[in-house]
Amino acid sequence: MTKLIDWLKSPQWSPYTGGAALGLLSIFALLFTDRLFGASGAFENIGGSIMQLIAPTLADNMYWNFVMPAGFSFGVMMLIGVFLGALASSLLSGTFKWQTVSDEQWVQVFGPNRLKRWATLFFGAILLEYGAGIAGGCTSGLAISGGVQLAPAAFLFIGGMFASGIITTMLLYGKRY
Amino acid sequence: MIALLPALVVGFIFGWILQKARLTQYSKIVNVFRFTDLTVLKFMLTSIVVGGVGIYLLRDLGIVTLTGTTPTYIVGNLIGGVIFGVGMAWAGF
Repeated sequence: MTKLIDWLKSPQWSPYTGGAALGLLSIFALLFTDRLFGASGAFENIGGSIMQLIAPTLADNMYWNFVMPAGFSFGVMMLIGVFLGALASSLLSGTFKWQTVSDEQWVQVFGPNRLKRWATLFFGAILLEYGAGIAGGCTSGLAISGGVQLAPAAFLFIGGMFASGIITTMLLYGKRY
Repeated sequence: MIALLPALVVGFIFGWILQKARLTQYSKIVNVFRFTDLTVLKFMLTSIVVGGVGIYLLRDLGIVTLTGTTPTYIVGNLIGGVIFGVGMAWAGF
């Protein structure tokens, strides 16, 4: 029992342990909720709700009525869970900290400028969400949830993601790649 | 609201696992594209293998039905993946 608690409190799991745990989670999620997980869709649901508030006529379209319905969806609730779960995990393992620039490696390569980091995050996230919208899901909702069901879309997505990720990182890092 | 409780639980465990695997960090995400740290790849493929075996077993036993997967639309899935990869390399999430 103490071993289990130590394991839950440890700051890091091997990627294989984490991956296996996520695989098990996907099995249980399908078994008990008849759904698998996803993250990017929730932002589209929230976006739709905000749009309905500020510009109802613009929000009244195919996309937010049928494709990604606006409102407090299953995915939005899951996203809240993701935030709380990661928070609890980091607090328990003692790795929680406040940061305005997210990573040491970023500082080494691109400098400590906070605005630069935040701007890349902002525009990078727009690309993430846009790409996920076109492909039909993100790393969790399409690559993993689709992958476990052997959906061809998932593997096409993974291929595209790694190809462009590698090229973009090469261009961004230049000589430091 | 009660109907959404399972979503909160699944999300909680999902977030927990991602944090434990250190996938909440910029360097973990970007270094897979530099081939210096393959955590993302190991994590994703392990989860697909474990989840896939279990889910297909349960499906063949008639216990679960698969969710309607994302339709295969070669251009869309690929282009979406390409745009997503650019964002991923930039933002690191």
